[in-house]
Amino acid sequence: MRILDQSRFFSSYQCDGSRCFYIDFNHKTVKMSFCQLLSFRQKLLNIDLDSHFNGENSQGIEILMLCNKEHLFIFNTLEILDLKKLLNNTFTALEINSMIAC
Amino acid sequence: MKDLVRQNLSIHVEIMDLLNKQIEKEAHSSSAYLAMASWCDHNALDNSAKFFYDQSLEEREHMIKIFRFINDNGGTAYSPEVSKIAHDFNSLEEIFETALEQEIAITKSIHNIVYKCRKVQDLASEHFLQWFVNEQMEEEQTMRRILELFDLMGTEGLGLKLLDERIPGIKGGA
Repeated sequence: MRILDQSRFFSSYQCDGSRCFYIDFNHKTVKMSFCQLLSFRQKLLNIDLDSHFNGENSQGIEILMLCNKEHLFIFNTLEILDLKKLLNNTFTALEINSMIAC
Repeated sequence: MKDLVRQNLSIHVEIMDLLNKQIEKEAHSSSAYLAMASWCDHNALDNSAKFFYDQSLEEREHMIKIFRFINDNGGTAYSPEVSKIAHDFNSLEEIFETALEQEIAITKSIHNIVYKCRKVQDLASEHFLQWFVNEQMEEEQTMRRILELFDLMGTEGLGLKLLDERIPGIKGGA
């Protein structure tokens, strides 16, 4: 497995053998197909961070179900910020890899 | 390291995001035309109502075309949520003016995706979008042609009724 990115709380990996991606959520590692990784990214993109600071989401908690409801995670504001950064950097790393492969 | 993204996805990830945004716009456009059709129905403008029902279907077809393109190429298309549809209008002229503005906004959005395709060298998506570029020119032309009729025939009374009767002949003949 090769590391794609590491943030404060989480890490992302690519496994060439299984042609899959792994996200290490610290206490649990989740295997994802590319399609599931895209879906995870979309869920993060849809999170409105403003609501964590303007009182709409006063608890500052997000509940995410991943991989077709196989996993359920509860994240706080800091973790969501960290995850957004992780996924952004992960896709940047993947894009650079695509460029090199050309 | 294997290029797993390219193995799974034939289009650029950022283009996929923009196309998903475009799906939302086409869906919004389709629903907006339905609202316009409803207003025309309630105001006894049968031909204009049919025109907008057809336009609504056409926008939905555009949406499905993009939706399938994303999925067929390994991406994930997201079914859009539609909100904030205007149902109140002052006149048929206002409706067609709104429709033209809507088409112009869609055209600009398509053009922006084409520019992005060129920037990231996504030739497949650029080629796919060329059909939409041509289609949008026709859509704008139709709306513009109808708005010209208001200048000729007026916006109320018999002129409005006669204009409504001219609507079926405009699409395709614009």
